[in-house]
Amino acid sequence: MSAFSFSLTPFGENGWLATLSGGDMVARALSANAAADVLRNSAGVTDAVAGVESLILRFRPEEMTTGDAKKKLEDALRQSTSKTPASAPAIDIPVCYGGEYGPDFERLCEKLSLAPDQFIALHSSQVYRVLTVGFAPGFAYLGPLPPALQTGRLSTPRAHVPSGSVGVAGAMTGVYALASPGGWPLIGRTPKKLFDPHGAAPFIFTSGAAVRFVPIDEDAFKALEANPV
Amino acid sequence: MTAIAEITMPGLMTTLQDLGRPGLRHLGVPLSGAADPLSLALANAAAGNAPGTTGLECTLKGPSLRFRSEAAFALGGADMNATLNGEPLDLYTLHHAKNEDKLVIGAARTGARAYIAFSGGLKGEDFLGSRSTYISAALGGHEGRALISGDEIFSAELPAAAPRDIPKALRPNLAHDFFLRALPGPEALQLSEGSLASFFSAAWTVGRRADRMGVQLEGKTLPLEEAAPMASSPVFPGTVQCPPDGAPFLLLCDAQTVGGYPRIAQLIAADLHLTGQLRPGDRVWFQKLSADLAREVGRQKASFYGDLFPHGFFC
Repeated sequence: MSAFSFSLTPFGENGWLATLSGGDMVARALSANAAADVLRNSAGVTDAVAGVESLILRFRPEEMTTGDAKKKLEDALRQSTSKTPASAPAIDIPVCYGGEYGPDFERLCEKLSLAPDQFIALHSSQVYRVLTVGFAPGFAYLGPLPPALQTGRLSTPRAHVPSGSVGVAGAMTGVYALASPGGWPLIGRTPKKLFDPHGAAPFIFTSGAAVRFVPIDEDAFKALEANPV
Repeated sequence: MTAIAEITMPGLMTTLQDLGRPGLRHLGVPLSGAADPLSLALANAAAGNAPGTTGLECTLKGPSLRFRSEAAFALGGADMNATLNGEPLDLYTLHHAKNEDKLVIGAARTGARAYIAFSGGLKGEDFLGSRSTYISAALGGHEGRALISGDEIFSAELPAAAPRDIPKALRPNLAHDFFLRALPGPEALQLSEGSLASFFSAAWTVGRRADRMGVQLEGKTLPLEEAAPMASSPVFPGTVQCPPDGAPFLLLCDAQTVGGYPRIAQLIAADLHLTGQLRPGDRVWFQKLSADLAREVGRQKASFYGDLFPHGFFC
Protein backbone atom coordinates (compact mmCIF):
# COMPACT_ATOMS: atom_id res chain seq x y z
CA MET A 1 0.00 0.00 0.00
CA SER A 2 2.43 2.68 -1.15
CA ALA A 3 1.13 6.24 -1.04
CA PHE A 4 4.24 7.24 -2.99
CA SER A 5 6.55 5.80 -5.59
CA PHE A 6 10.30 6.13 -5.84
CA SER A 7 13.10 5.94 -8.37
CA LEU A 8 16.74 5.04 -7.71
CA THR A 9 19.90 6.61 -9.19
CA PRO A 10 23.53 5.81 -8.34
CA PHE A 11 25.23 8.41 -6.15
CA GLY A 12 29.02 8.27 -6.35
CA GLU A 13 30.60 4.82 -6.55
CA ASN A 14 29.29 3.66 -3.17
CA GLY A 15 25.81 5.08 -2.89
CA TRP A 16 22.22 5.22 -4.10
CA LEU A 17 19.82 8.14 -4.25
CA ALA A 18 16.09 7.45 -3.90
CA THR A 19 13.71 10.18 -5.07
CA LEU A 20 10.13 9.93 -3.83
CA SER A 21 7.11 11.18 -5.74
CA GLY A 22 3.33 11.01 -5.40
CA GLY A 23 1.38 11.05 -2.13
CA ASP A 24 1.57 14.12 0.10
CA MET A 25 4.68 15.95 1.26
CA VAL A 26 4.43 14.84 4.87
CA ALA A 27 4.05 11.16 3.97
CA ARG A 28 7.02 11.36 1.56
CA ALA A 29 9.27 13.07 4.10
CA LEU A 30 8.33 10.80 7.00
CA SER A 31 8.72 7.66 4.87
CA ALA A 32 12.14 8.72 3.59
CA ASN A 33 13.32 9.53 7.13
CA ALA A 34 11.85 6.35 8.65
CA ALA A 35 13.64 4.30 5.98
CA ALA A 36 16.89 6.19 6.67
CA ASP A 37 16.56 5.48 10.42
CA VAL A 38 16.26 1.74 9.71
CA LEU A 39 19.10 1.67 7.15
CA ARG A 40 21.50 3.56 9.42
CA ASN A 41 21.64 0.56 11.77
CA SER A 42 22.61 -1.93 9.08
CA ALA A 43 26.15 -3.27 8.97
CA GLY A 44 28.16 -1.77 6.11
CA VAL A 45 26.09 1.43 5.89
CA THR A 46 28.13 4.61 6.36
CA ASP A 47 25.38 7.18 5.81
CA ALA A 48 21.61 7.09 5.45
CA VAL A 49 20.49 10.70 5.08
CA ALA A 50 17.04 11.85 4.06
CA GLY A 51 15.92 15.16 2.62
CA VAL A 52 12.27 16.15 2.29
CA GLU A 53 11.59 13.79 -0.59
CA SER A 54 14.84 11.94 -1.09
CA LEU A 55 17.21 9.59 0.65
CA ILE A 56 20.87 8.78 0.03
CA LEU A 57 22.33 5.51 1.22
CA ARG A 58 26.13 5.16 1.22
CA PHE A 59 27.94 1.94 2.02
CA ARG A 60 31.38 0.37 2.48
CA PRO A 61 32.14 -1.50 -0.74
CA GLU A 62 34.16 -4.12 1.14
CA GLU A 63 31.08 -5.03 3.20
CA MET A 64 28.25 -4.67 0.71
CA THR A 65 27.84 -4.97 -3.06
CA THR A 66 26.13 -2.21 -4.93
CA GLY A 67 23.31 -4.66 -5.76
CA ASP A 68 22.79 -5.54 -2.08
CA ALA A 69 22.73 -1.87 -1.15
CA LYS A 70 20.11 -1.16 -3.79
CA LYS A 71 17.92 -4.00 -2.54
CA LYS A 72 18.26 -2.85 1.09
CA LEU A 73 17.19 0.66 0.09
CA GLU A 74 14.19 -0.61 -1.90
CA ASP A 75 13.09 -2.87 0.95
CA ALA A 76 13.42 -0.13 3.55
CA LEU A 77 11.36 2.29 1.46
CA ARG A 78 8.64 -0.30 0.73
CA GLN A 79 8.34 -1.15 4.41
CA SER A 80 8.41 2.41 5.71
CA THR A 81 5.13 3.55 4.16
CA SER A 82 2.92 2.75 7.13
CA LYS A 83 5.22 4.26 9.71
CA THR A 84 3.65 7.70 9.94
CA PRO A 85 2.10 8.26 13.42
CA ALA A 86 4.34 10.11 15.87
CA SER A 87 5.59 7.77 18.56
CA ALA A 88 5.66 10.39 21.34
CA PRO A 89 3.47 13.31 22.45
CA ALA A 90 4.00 16.66 20.73
CA ILE A 91 6.96 18.77 21.90
CA ASP A 92 5.76 22.22 22.96
CA ILE A 93 7.92 25.06 21.65
CA PRO A 94 7.13 28.44 23.24
CA VAL A 95 7.55 31.25 20.68
CA CYS A 96 7.59 35.00 21.00
CA TYR A 97 6.36 36.26 17.60
CA GLY A 98 7.41 39.50 15.91
CA GLY A 99 9.51 42.41 17.13
CA GLU A 100 13.22 41.79 17.47
CA TYR A 101 12.54 38.04 17.76
CA GLY A 102 10.84 37.79 14.38
CA PRO A 103 12.25 40.60 12.22
CA ASP A 104 10.22 39.59 9.14
CA PHE A 105 6.92 39.00 10.98
CA GLU A 106 5.24 42.39 10.44
CA ARG A 107 6.26 42.48 6.77
CA LEU A 108 4.90 38.97 6.20
CA CYS A 109 1.60 39.78 7.92
CA GLU A 110 1.21 42.72 5.55
CA LYS A 111 2.21 40.69 2.49
CA LEU A 112 -0.18 37.86 3.38
CA SER A 113 -2.97 40.28 4.44
CA LEU A 114 -3.21 38.83 7.93
CA ALA A 115 -3.55 40.59 11.28
CA PRO A 116 -0.66 39.63 13.59
CA ASP A 117 -3.09 37.73 15.85
CA GLN A 118 -4.46 35.79 12.88
CA PHE A 119 -0.94 34.84 11.76
CA ILE A 120 -0.03 33.68 15.25
CA ALA A 121 -3.28 31.74 15.67
CA LEU A 122 -2.78 29.96 12.33
CA HIS A 123 0.87 29.16 12.98
CA SER A 124 0.27 27.85 16.51
CA SER A 125 -3.05 26.07 15.99
CA GLN A 126 -1.76 22.80 14.57
CA VAL A 127 0.59 19.97 15.34
CA TYR A 128 3.51 19.84 12.89
CA ARG A 129 5.80 16.93 12.13
CA VAL A 130 9.57 17.17 11.84
CA LEU A 131 9.88 16.32 8.14
CA THR A 132 13.64 16.11 8.26
CA VAL A 133 16.67 17.50 10.09
CA GLY A 134 19.54 18.94 8.11
CA PHE A 135 21.31 21.89 6.49
CA ALA A 136 22.82 22.99 9.84
CA PRO A 137 23.16 20.98 13.07
CA GLY A 138 19.69 20.31 14.49
CA PHE A 139 17.84 22.52 11.98
CA ALA A 140 14.29 21.12 11.80
CA TYR A 141 12.09 21.30 8.71
CA LEU A 142 8.45 21.15 9.95
CA GLY A 143 5.26 20.79 7.99
CA PRO A 144 2.76 21.18 6.64
CA LEU A 145 2.46 24.96 6.98
CA PRO A 146 -1.11 26.29 6.44
CA PRO A 147 -1.39 27.65 2.86
CA ALA A 148 -2.35 31.11 4.16
CA LEU A 149 1.13 31.43 5.71
CA GLN A 150 3.20 30.26 2.74
CA THR A 151 5.82 32.59 1.30
CA GLY A 152 9.20 32.51 -0.43
CA ARG A 153 12.72 32.71 0.95
CA LEU A 154 14.63 35.94 1.49
CA SER A 155 16.32 37.15 -1.69
CA THR A 156 19.51 37.70 0.32
CA PRO A 157 20.17 35.23 3.15
CA ARG A 158 21.14 36.59 6.57
CA ALA A 159 24.75 35.98 7.61
CA HIS A 160 23.66 35.41 11.21
CA VAL A 161 20.38 33.94 12.44
CA PRO A 162 20.18 33.59 16.26
CA SER A 163 19.61 30.14 17.73
CA GLY A 164 15.94 29.39 18.47
CA SER A 165 14.73 31.46 15.51
CA VAL A 166 11.55 30.23 13.83
CA GLY A 167 11.17 30.80 10.10
CA VAL A 168 8.80 29.97 7.26
CA ALA A 169 9.51 29.04 3.63
CA GLY A 170 7.17 27.45 1.12
CA ALA A 171 5.03 24.73 2.71
CA MET A 172 7.36 24.44 5.72
CA THR A 173 8.24 26.18 8.94
CA GLY A 174 11.68 25.66 10.46
CA VAL A 175 13.57 26.12 13.70
CA TYR A 176 17.27 27.04 13.90
CA ALA A 177 18.63 24.91 16.77
CA LEU A 178 21.96 26.75 16.57
CA ALA A 179 22.97 30.15 15.30
CA SER A 180 23.83 29.93 11.59
CA PRO A 181 23.47 31.80 8.33
CA GLY A 182 19.96 31.40 6.93
CA GLY A 183 17.58 32.40 4.16
CA TRP A 184 14.17 31.80 5.75
CA PRO A 185 12.01 34.81 6.71
CA LEU A 186 11.96 34.88 10.54
CA ILE A 187 8.65 35.17 12.41
CA GLY A 188 9.69 34.58 16.03
CA ARG A 189 12.08 32.92 18.42
CA THR A 190 11.92 30.33 21.17
CA PRO A 191 13.80 30.65 24.47
CA LYS A 192 13.73 26.86 24.82
CA LYS A 193 17.11 25.15 24.79
CA LEU A 194 17.13 23.08 21.60
CA PHE A 195 20.66 21.77 21.86
CA ASP A 196 22.61 20.06 24.63
CA PRO A 197 26.11 19.23 23.40
CA HIS A 198 26.63 16.67 26.18
CA GLY A 199 23.18 15.04 26.12
CA ALA A 200 22.59 11.51 24.84
CA ALA A 201 20.52 13.06 22.03
CA PRO A 202 22.13 16.48 21.49
CA PHE A 203 19.23 17.97 19.53
CA ILE A 204 15.60 18.19 20.67
CA PHE A 205 14.23 17.63 17.15
CA THR A 206 14.43 14.28 15.39
CA SER A 207 12.69 13.39 12.17
CA GLY A 208 9.07 12.27 12.67
CA ALA A 209 8.61 14.04 16.03
CA ALA A 210 5.40 16.02 16.60
CA VAL A 211 5.79 19.72 17.47
CA ARG A 212 3.38 22.43 18.61
CA PHE A 213 4.18 26.16 18.87
CA VAL A 214 2.85 27.96 21.96
CA PRO A 215 2.68 31.77 21.67
CA ILE A 216 4.31 33.68 24.55
CA ASP A 217 4.96 37.38 25.18
CA GLU A 218 8.30 39.10 25.64
CA ASP A 219 8.18 38.91 29.45
CA ALA A 220 7.61 35.15 29.32
CA PHE A 221 10.44 34.85 26.77
CA LYS A 222 12.85 36.64 29.09
CA ALA A 223 11.72 34.63 32.11
CA LEU A 224 12.16 31.33 30.25
CA GLU A 225 15.48 32.44 28.84
CA ALA A 226 16.74 33.25 32.35
CA ASN A 227 15.36 30.05 33.89
CA PRO A 228 15.25 27.30 31.28
CA VAL A 229 13.08 24.36 32.31
CA MET B 1 49.14 21.15 34.01
CA THR B 2 51.80 22.60 31.75
CA ALA B 3 50.91 23.54 28.20
CA ILE B 4 52.83 22.06 25.27
CA ALA B 5 53.08 25.49 23.71
CA GLU B 6 51.67 28.97 23.48
CA ILE B 7 50.51 30.51 20.20
CA THR B 8 52.54 33.67 19.58
CA MET B 9 51.19 34.32 16.03
CA PRO B 10 47.96 32.63 14.97
CA GLY B 11 48.49 32.29 11.20
CA LEU B 12 45.55 32.72 8.82
CA MET B 13 43.37 30.00 10.32
CA THR B 14 44.80 27.41 12.68
CA THR B 15 42.36 24.90 14.17
CA LEU B 16 42.35 21.63 16.09
CA GLN B 17 41.24 18.79 13.81
CA ASP B 18 40.95 15.01 13.88
CA LEU B 19 39.09 12.82 11.37
CA GLY B 20 35.72 14.44 12.09
CA ARG B 21 32.21 13.20 12.76
CA PRO B 22 31.24 10.63 10.15
CA GLY B 23 27.69 9.27 10.05
CA LEU B 24 25.89 12.21 11.70
CA ARG B 25 24.61 14.02 8.62
CA HIS B 26 21.02 13.00 9.47
CA LEU B 27 21.33 15.38 12.47
CA GLY B 28 22.53 18.17 10.20
CA VAL B 29 26.06 17.69 11.56
CA PRO B 30 28.78 18.00 8.89
CA LEU B 31 31.83 15.76 8.71
CA SER B 32 34.45 18.40 9.64
CA GLY B 33 37.88 17.01 10.57
CA ALA B 34 41.10 17.60 8.65
CA ALA B 35 40.36 18.95 5.17
CA ASP B 36 43.23 16.71 3.99
CA PRO B 37 42.82 13.69 6.30
CA LEU B 38 45.58 11.70 4.57
CA SER B 39 48.21 14.31 5.41
CA LEU B 40 47.04 14.48 9.04
CA ALA B 41 47.11 10.67 9.26
CA LEU B 42 50.63 10.53 7.78
CA ALA B 43 51.90 13.24 10.16
CA ASN B 44 50.34 11.29 13.03
CA ALA B 45 52.06 8.09 11.90
CA ALA B 46 55.39 9.94 11.82
CA ALA B 47 54.67 11.16 15.38
CA GLY B 48 53.80 7.63 16.57
CA ASN B 49 50.11 8.49 16.94
CA ALA B 50 46.97 6.68 15.75
CA PRO B 51 45.85 8.14 12.38
CA GLY B 52 42.91 10.16 13.76
CA THR B 53 44.73 11.77 16.69
CA THR B 54 43.93 15.47 17.14
CA GLY B 55 46.50 17.85 15.67
CA LEU B 56 46.71 21.38 14.29
CA GLU B 57 45.53 22.29 10.81
CA CYS B 58 47.30 25.37 9.41
CA THR B 59 45.80 27.24 6.46
CA LEU B 60 47.95 28.93 3.75
CA LYS B 61 50.07 30.68 6.37
CA GLY B 62 50.82 28.88 9.60
CA PRO B 63 51.21 29.98 13.22
CA SER B 64 54.25 30.62 15.41
CA LEU B 65 54.50 28.73 18.71
CA ARG B 66 56.68 29.01 21.79
CA PHE B 67 57.11 25.67 23.52
CA ARG B 68 56.38 25.51 27.23
CA SER B 69 57.61 21.98 27.77
CA GLU B 70 59.48 19.23 25.95
CA ALA B 71 57.50 17.85 23.07
CA ALA B 72 57.90 15.73 19.94
CA PHE B 73 56.02 16.51 16.75
CA ALA B 74 55.87 15.84 13.01
CA LEU B 75 54.66 17.97 10.10
CA GLY B 76 52.60 16.93 7.10
CA GLY B 77 50.59 18.27 4.16
CA ALA B 78 51.61 21.52 2.48
CA ASP B 79 55.25 22.54 2.91
CA MET B 80 55.15 25.82 4.86
CA ASN B 81 58.93 26.19 5.34
CA ALA B 82 58.71 25.49 9.04
CA THR B 83 61.68 26.25 11.27
CA LEU B 84 62.55 25.34 14.86
CA ASN B 85 64.77 28.04 16.38
CA GLY B 86 65.56 29.08 12.81
CA GLU B 87 66.56 25.60 11.59
CA PRO B 88 64.49 24.26 8.66
CA LEU B 89 62.39 21.17 9.39
CA ASP B 90 61.61 18.23 7.12
CA LEU B 91 58.05 16.97 6.70
CA TYR B 92 56.99 13.52 7.97
CA THR B 93 59.92 13.26 10.38
CA LEU B 94 59.84 13.33 14.17
CA HIS B 95 61.31 16.51 15.70
CA HIS B 96 62.03 17.22 19.37
CA ALA B 97 61.49 20.60 21.01
CA LYS B 98 62.53 21.91 24.42
CA ASN B 99 60.93 24.49 26.67
CA GLU B 100 61.22 28.00 25.10
CA ASP B 101 61.99 26.65 21.60
CA LYS B 102 60.33 28.61 18.81
CA LEU B 103 58.43 26.87 16.01
CA VAL B 104 57.61 29.12 13.06
CA ILE B 105 55.33 27.78 10.34
CA GLY B 106 55.64 29.98 7.27
CA ALA B 107 53.52 30.25 4.14
CA ALA B 108 52.69 27.48 1.67
CA ARG B 109 53.87 27.85 -1.92
CA THR B 110 51.92 24.81 -3.07
CA GLY B 111 48.95 23.28 -1.31
CA ALA B 112 46.72 24.98 1.22
CA ARG B 113 46.97 23.10 4.51
CA ALA B 114 49.75 21.84 6.74
CA TYR B 115 49.34 19.61 9.78
CA ILE B 116 51.26 19.51 13.05
CA ALA B 117 50.93 16.18 14.87
CA PHE B 118 52.22 16.23 18.46
CA SER B 119 53.23 12.84 19.92
CA GLY B 120 50.46 12.02 22.39
CA GLY B 121 47.91 14.21 20.60
CA LEU B 122 46.23 17.46 21.59
CA LYS B 123 43.52 18.03 24.16
CA GLY B 124 40.35 19.52 22.71
CA GLU B 125 36.66 19.91 23.40
CA ASP B 126 34.69 16.88 22.35
CA PHE B 127 31.46 17.29 20.40
CA LEU B 128 29.68 14.11 19.29
CA GLY B 129 32.81 12.00 19.49
CA SER B 130 35.26 14.29 17.73
CA ARG B 131 37.54 17.14 18.77
CA SER B 132 37.35 18.77 15.36
CA THR B 133 36.73 22.48 15.33
CA TYR B 134 33.47 23.34 13.52
CA ILE B 135 33.64 27.12 13.33
CA SER B 136 30.16 27.79 11.87
CA ALA B 137 28.51 26.44 15.01
CA ALA B 138 31.41 27.26 17.37
CA LEU B 139 31.70 23.61 18.44
CA GLY B 140 34.62 21.33 19.24
CA GLY B 141 38.38 21.91 19.27
CA HIS B 142 39.48 25.04 21.10
CA GLU B 143 36.28 26.91 22.07
CA GLY B 144 34.92 26.11 18.60
CA ARG B 145 37.19 28.69 16.96
CA ALA B 146 40.53 29.26 15.28
CA LEU B 147 43.48 29.76 17.62
CA ILE B 148 44.57 33.31 18.48
CA SER B 149 47.74 34.72 20.02
CA GLY B 150 48.04 33.79 23.67
CA ASP B 151 46.09 30.53 23.36
CA GLU B 152 47.76 27.50 24.86
CA ILE B 153 47.63 23.95 23.57
CA PHE B 154 47.78 20.95 25.88
CA SER B 155 48.78 17.34 25.38
CA ALA B 156 46.08 14.67 25.43
CA GLU B 157 48.83 12.42 26.84
CA LEU B 158 47.77 9.49 24.69
CA PRO B 159 50.26 6.64 24.58
CA ALA B 160 52.43 7.17 21.51
CA ALA B 161 53.94 4.23 19.64
CA ALA B 162 57.27 4.25 17.87
CA PRO B 163 57.34 6.90 15.14
CA ARG B 164 56.77 5.43 11.69
CA ASP B 165 59.07 6.05 8.79
CA ILE B 166 56.98 7.49 5.94
CA PRO B 167 58.53 6.35 2.64
CA LYS B 168 58.99 9.14 0.09
CA ALA B 169 56.61 7.42 -2.33
CA LEU B 170 53.77 7.71 0.19
CA ARG B 171 54.24 11.42 0.83
CA PRO B 172 51.74 13.55 -1.08
CA ASN B 173 53.48 15.61 -3.71
CA LEU B 174 51.61 18.90 -4.05
CA ALA B 175 51.65 21.11 -7.13
CA HIS B 176 49.35 23.77 -8.59
CA ASP B 177 47.56 21.30 -10.89
CA PHE B 178 45.01 18.82 -9.55
CA PHE B 179 43.46 15.88 -11.36
CA LEU B 180 40.33 14.81 -9.50
CA ARG B 181 38.32 11.79 -10.52
CA ALA B 182 34.54 11.97 -10.39
CA LEU B 183 31.28 10.32 -11.40
CA PRO B 184 28.41 12.28 -12.97
CA GLY B 185 25.92 13.37 -10.27
CA PRO B 186 22.19 12.64 -10.11
CA GLU B 187 21.23 15.96 -11.74
CA ALA B 188 24.03 15.96 -14.34
CA LEU B 189 21.39 15.69 -17.05
CA GLN B 190 19.98 19.08 -16.04
CA LEU B 191 23.09 20.58 -17.64
CA SER B 192 22.48 21.80 -21.16
CA GLU B 193 23.69 19.74 -24.10
CA GLY B 194 27.48 19.50 -24.06
CA SER B 195 27.86 21.11 -20.61
CA LEU B 196 28.63 17.85 -18.82
CA ALA B 197 31.31 17.06 -21.40
CA SER B 198 32.83 20.52 -20.91
CA PHE B 199 32.76 20.06 -17.13
CA PHE B 200 34.94 16.97 -17.65
CA SER B 201 37.24 18.58 -20.23
CA ALA B 202 37.69 22.16 -18.99
CA ALA B 203 40.65 23.41 -16.99
CA TRP B 204 39.00 24.95 -13.91
CA THR B 205 40.58 27.53 -11.65
CA VAL B 206 40.02 27.58 -7.90
CA GLY B 207 38.31 30.89 -7.11
CA ARG B 208 38.89 33.22 -4.17
CA ARG B 209 36.07 31.55 -2.26
CA ALA B 210 37.96 28.47 -1.09
CA ASP B 211 37.40 27.41 2.50
CA ARG B 212 36.47 24.33 4.52
CA MET B 213 32.85 24.58 3.30
CA GLY B 214 33.72 24.46 -0.36
CA VAL B 215 35.64 25.72 -3.35
CA GLN B 216 34.36 27.96 -6.13
CA LEU B 217 35.38 26.74 -9.61
CA GLU B 218 35.95 29.38 -12.25
CA GLY B 219 36.68 29.38 -15.96
CA LYS B 220 33.40 28.48 -17.62
CA THR B 221 29.71 28.78 -16.96
CA LEU B 222 27.64 25.63 -17.34
CA PRO B 223 24.15 26.48 -18.54
CA LEU B 224 21.34 24.46 -16.94
CA GLU B 225 18.13 23.41 -18.62
CA GLU B 226 15.00 24.98 -17.17
CA ALA B 227 13.88 22.70 -14.37
CA ALA B 228 11.46 22.81 -11.46
CA PRO B 229 13.18 23.98 -8.26
CA MET B 230 14.66 21.05 -6.36
CA ALA B 231 13.56 20.11 -2.87
CA SER B 232 16.53 20.13 -0.49
CA SER B 233 18.35 16.83 -0.89
CA PRO B 234 21.46 15.36 0.76
CA VAL B 235 24.93 16.53 -0.30
CA PHE B 236 28.35 15.27 0.84
CA PRO B 237 31.97 16.34 0.75
CA GLY B 238 33.01 15.87 -2.87
CA THR B 239 29.63 16.86 -4.30
CA VAL B 240 29.88 19.41 -7.14
CA GLN B 241 26.79 21.62 -7.15
CA CYS B 242 25.81 23.91 -10.00
CA PRO B 243 23.59 26.87 -9.05
CA PRO B 244 21.49 28.67 -11.70
CA ASP B 245 24.35 31.11 -12.39
CA GLY B 246 26.27 28.16 -13.89
CA ALA B 247 29.35 28.49 -11.65
CA PRO B 248 30.10 25.07 -10.11
CA PHE B 249 30.96 24.74 -6.43
CA LEU B 250 32.85 21.78 -4.94
CA LEU B 251 31.85 20.90 -1.38
CA LEU B 252 34.48 20.13 1.28
CA CYS B 253 34.45 18.68 4.80
CA ASP B 254 32.44 21.42 6.57
CA ALA B 255 29.70 21.50 3.90
CA GLN B 256 26.07 21.60 4.94
CA THR B 257 24.18 18.29 4.86
CA VAL B 258 21.45 19.14 2.35
CA GLY B 259 21.35 21.47 -0.62
CA GLY B 260 18.91 22.65 -3.25
CA TYR B 261 21.20 23.01 -6.30
CA PRO B 262 21.69 20.37 -9.00
CA ARG B 263 24.43 17.87 -8.07
CA ILE B 264 26.36 17.53 -11.32
CA ALA B 265 29.26 15.36 -10.12
CA GLN B 266 30.55 13.40 -7.13
CA LEU B 267 34.27 12.98 -6.51
CA ILE B 268 35.46 9.43 -5.98
CA ALA B 269 36.06 8.69 -2.29
CA ALA B 270 39.77 7.97 -2.82
CA ASP B 271 40.47 11.50 -4.16
CA LEU B 272 38.58 13.46 -1.49
CA HIS B 273 41.69 14.14 0.59
CA LEU B 274 43.18 16.16 -2.29
CA THR B 275 40.40 18.78 -2.07
CA GLY B 276 41.84 20.04 1.24
CA GLN B 277 44.94 21.23 -0.62
CA LEU B 278 43.18 23.35 -3.27
CA ARG B 279 44.16 26.99 -3.04
CA PRO B 280 42.93 30.01 -5.01
CA GLY B 281 44.53 30.05 -8.46
CA ASP B 282 45.21 26.30 -8.62
CA ARG B 283 44.06 24.49 -11.76
CA VAL B 284 41.70 21.52 -11.57
CA TRP B 285 40.69 18.94 -14.12
CA PHE B 286 37.90 16.45 -13.48
CA GLN B 287 38.28 13.02 -15.00
CA LYS B 288 35.13 10.96 -15.51
CA LEU B 289 35.30 7.46 -14.08
CA SER B 290 32.91 4.51 -14.01
CA ALA B 291 31.69 3.27 -10.63
CA ASP B 292 33.61 0.00 -11.08
CA LEU B 293 36.86 1.81 -11.84
CA ALA B 294 36.26 4.22 -8.92
CA ARG B 295 35.94 1.27 -6.53
CA GLU B 296 39.08 -0.29 -8.01
CA VAL B 297 41.00 2.97 -7.48
CA GLY B 298 39.75 2.96 -3.88
CA ARG B 299 41.06 -0.57 -3.34
CA GLN B 300 44.42 0.29 -4.90
CA LYS B 301 44.90 3.43 -2.81
CA ALA B 302 43.91 1.55 0.36
CA SER B 303 46.44 -1.18 -0.38
CA PHE B 304 49.12 1.40 -1.27
CA TYR B 305 48.78 2.80 2.27
CA GLY B 306 47.95 -0.61 3.78
CA ASP B 307 51.21 -0.97 5.76
CA LEU B 308 50.68 2.38 7.51
CA PHE B 309 46.91 2.18 7.92
CA PRO B 310 45.94 -1.49 8.21
CA HIS B 311 42.42 -0.56 9.38
CA GLY B 312 41.56 1.38 6.27
CA PHE B 313 42.50 4.37 4.22
CA PHE B 314 41.61 7.60 5.98
CA CYS B 315 39.83 9.91 3.61
